[in-house]
Amino acid sequence: MIAGRGRQRIRPPRRGLHGDEVDFDNTWVTIEAAFREIHTKNASRLSYEELYRHAYRIVLKKKGEQLYKNVHDFEKRWLSSEVRGDLQQLLSPSLLADPQSVASTTANERRVSGEKFLKGLKQAWGDHQVCMSMLADVLMYMDRVYCQDHRRPSIYTAAMFLFRDEILKSPLSPGDERDLLGLLNHVILEQIQMERDGDVIDKHLIKSCVHMLDGLYADDLESEDQRLYHVSFEKAYLETSRTFYHAESELMLQESDAGAYCKRAKKRIHEEEDRCRATLMESTTFKIREVVEAELIEGRIHDLVTMDSGVHFMIDNDRMDELNLIYDLNARVDDRKSEVTRAIQRRIMAMGIEINNEALAASQAPAPAPPPNAEGGDKSRLTQEKNVNMQTVAAIKWVDDVLALKDKFDKIWRESFESDSLLDTAMFNSFRDFINSTSFPRASEYISLFIDDNMKKGIKGKTDNEIDQVLDKAITLIKYVQDKDLFERYYKKHLCKRLIMNKSVSNEVEKQMVEKMKQELGPSFTSKLDAMFKDMSISHDLTNGYKNHVQGLGDRDPNRIDLSINVLTKTTWPLESLGGSGDGHEDNRPQCNFPAAVDKVKRGFEQYYAEKHSGRQLTWLPNMGSADIKAVFPKVPHKGGILKERRHELNVSTYAMVILLLFNELPADQSLTFEEIQAQTNIPKLDLKRNLQSLAVAPRTRILIKEPMSKEVKPDDKFYFNEGFKGSFVKIKVGVVATGNKVESDQQRKETEERNDKDREYVTEAALVRIMKQRQVFAHQQLILETINMLASRFKPEVSMIKRKIESLIEREYLERVEGSSDDYRYLA
Amino acid sequence: MAADRKVTDYVTLVSNDGYEFKILRSAACIAGTIKKALDPTSGFREMEQNRVELPTINGVTLEKVCEYLYYNQKHAESKDVPDMEIQPELCLELLIAADYLDGE
Repeated sequence: MIAGRGRQRIRPPRRGLHGDEVDFDNTWVTIEAAFREIHTKNASRLSYEELYRHAYRIVLKKKGEQLYKNVHDFEKRWLSSEVRGDLQQLLSPSLLADPQSVASTTANERRVSGEKFLKGLKQAWGDHQVCMSMLADVLMYMDRVYCQDHRRPSIYTAAMFLFRDEILKSPLSPGDERDLLGLLNHVILEQIQMERDGDVIDKHLIKSCVHMLDGLYADDLESEDQRLYHVSFEKAYLETSRTFYHAESELMLQESDAGAYCKRAKKRIHEEEDRCRATLMESTTFKIREVVEAELIEGRIHDLVTMDSGVHFMIDNDRMDELNLIYDLNARVDDRKSEVTRAIQRRIMAMGIEINNEALAASQAPAPAPPPNAEGGDKSRLTQEKNVNMQTVAAIKWVDDVLALKDKFDKIWRESFESDSLLDTAMFNSFRDFINSTSFPRASEYISLFIDDNMKKGIKGKTDNEIDQVLDKAITLIKYVQDKDLFERYYKKHLCKRLIMNKSVSNEVEKQMVEKMKQELGPSFTSKLDAMFKDMSISHDLTNGYKNHVQGLGDRDPNRIDLSINVLTKTTWPLESLGGSGDGHEDNRPQCNFPAAVDKVKRGFEQYYAEKHSGRQLTWLPNMGSADIKAVFPKVPHKGGILKERRHELNVSTYAMVILLLFNELPADQSLTFEEIQAQTNIPKLDLKRNLQSLAVAPRTRILIKEPMSKEVKPDDKFYFNEGFKGSFVKIKVGVVATGNKVESDQQRKETEERNDKDREYVTEAALVRIMKQRQVFAHQQLILETINMLASRFKPEVSMIKRKIESLIEREYLERVEGSSDDYRYLA
Repeated sequence: MAADRKVTDYVTLVSNDGYEFKILRSAACIAGTIKKALDPTSGFREMEQNRVELPTINGVTLEKVCEYLYYNQKHAESKDVPDMEIQPELCLELLIAADYLDGE
């Protein structure tokens, strides 16, 4: 008190100003009487100073211990007689009824009597706290001096223990061994259960009782983990909740669908969290959540995901909210969300394989319908061509379906799965798996066809943005493809036809596409494609150059033939796949006999080219070219009898041009047979047949008349020039049957794959050699692994093939086995 | 408990020889014993009357006590507080009073 007071407590002299001896018993009588008044709430009659002075004196006279003991005994007596008695009176029979036989009393009765009991207890506890704090105030000097010096708990603390022992741990009644604490727990739990069932309960009241439990300790040391709330109530609460939710989840699984279950479960979790805030202690939130999640989710998520109304159903019916719920639930108990992931993957696989099968079925369906009146190979050939068409449709449908599927799952992923990256990977893998599934080897071809279709028709009239979207979609699909080399092969082939036959809607878009592929797959993937574009632009320059050159010659022949030429690098362009379909490997393609006028131009260009690039060999591919011919048809009676000469500009294939020119030199009534045409032109039979079909059979472009008139072309069929040809347009395009990019027939596919496999073998060998050159000595297993890694961006090599290639390299003495070691190889420079 | 209207700004401290000191409640409550006596939640007589009789302390000492209570309140927040002047003959009685009143 005095400034500068040190830690040392200054004691008043033992004998001094208040020298008179204290009569303990008399003083205690006064104090006890006053305490009674305090307990009965009559404190205003008492002088605090007087009571304090009495207690002060007693302690001063070293009677502290006696005082402490007396107060303790007094409080114990008070609690065990007055307070306990009051409380016991609140215990109605319905409350005491065996919890097992609850049925004997109604819920409402139990709730009312429970609340009465809680109120009584809360009151008793509140009174006890207030009284004890007053007592502690009066006995302040005793706490300060006696309790501290003798290491006794303060009287307040001691009184709290008394409340625990004398009230909470006391039996319900002389004949009933259960204690009040147990009953309290039971009543609170029962109230909570009522709330779970939809009743309204007095949360505040319960919270007060919970606070009491939290303020009391099971032991006398007041250690943190010994709060009655934790050791007694919380345990029971978690236990009963576990039982309850276990049963509820079972019931819900039987009664409701997955969506409802998820909603309910989420609601329950929130309810319990709210309950911890409003009714119980916040510290329980985490524990109860764990219990609820364990019972409602962890044990059930598998059933939930796989049940009839589970993830499968939700996906099929676009139940975004429910998917979100089930995702959320799964995420609560499992960071990896494995149940939902698995279900999603299963669904993608199933739907993907369905799409695959549909495409396969669509492309195969017409096949087993051979013409019953099998007229010959030609008829079946036509149907086959039709099939090819249908297969193209199937291919594009397949791509559309896959894209739709991807859109669907992307949407689910965004809206329901919070753009979860794990699920993204999982979904990606599933898409990749079904797209590359071994039962469906056509993904690469179909995707390339899809792009082909768009390049030729699809993007017509679309805005840049829309085109960009289409391209991006295509890129998405390409990313899934494992056999990128096969895709490249198809793409090259299709691109080749588009470029040469000028089928692309826009060159810009073509380049854009290649640019996108370069970004996604790396420049090595697109280098050949780039080279193709380069060839095209060089050819353009060449054509112009040649034109100037010819003009420079001063030859002003009005019948001069304009030549437009594409010079293609043989290694870059997949020309072998462009050979006449069904011709097989035809390395020494017979040179077609061009008419003299054309041949002159051809030689002229060869000369011009040889001057510019000496040493280069030009091979002419007339099967790929086209020609514009001006044709004059003789006058025939027109509408109203007017005779009119008709001029048409015919756009035909090079072969067709050659064929038509034959008829130029022929009198109108003369005919040529198929064999004669073939002999004169040296056009490969199949190409000739197709060209004749389009010139003589196709209804709109019947420039020749065929005898007999039938769809099939036979060696001894005769052809006449159709003088009566009628066309409604000046410009007429004579399509050649089956020039578009179509799905390959099985034989073509086999060839493509064979070629691809051969390429793969070279690439694999190259990879092996590159690795071995770097490592010099390398173990077998590692070598295989590294090879697979190196090739992964192009395709997934088979181990057996790698092994074969290693053997072959050993045979050719690029490698040798290291002696004394079972599986090491050494590189031989 | 007792009604709040009885909580006044000033309280009266009474010495054993009948002197009354009216001092600020906030200052008086620096002394633990007085604070408890006036605690509104307990509702003792002192609180009802806003008056604390201190029969163990005489007027001279109580005056010094009051002086100290104000002194303490004034300097509660500051540092390097000058010592309070205390006559030597008052020392012992002040010590006893301090022990009795403080509680802290």
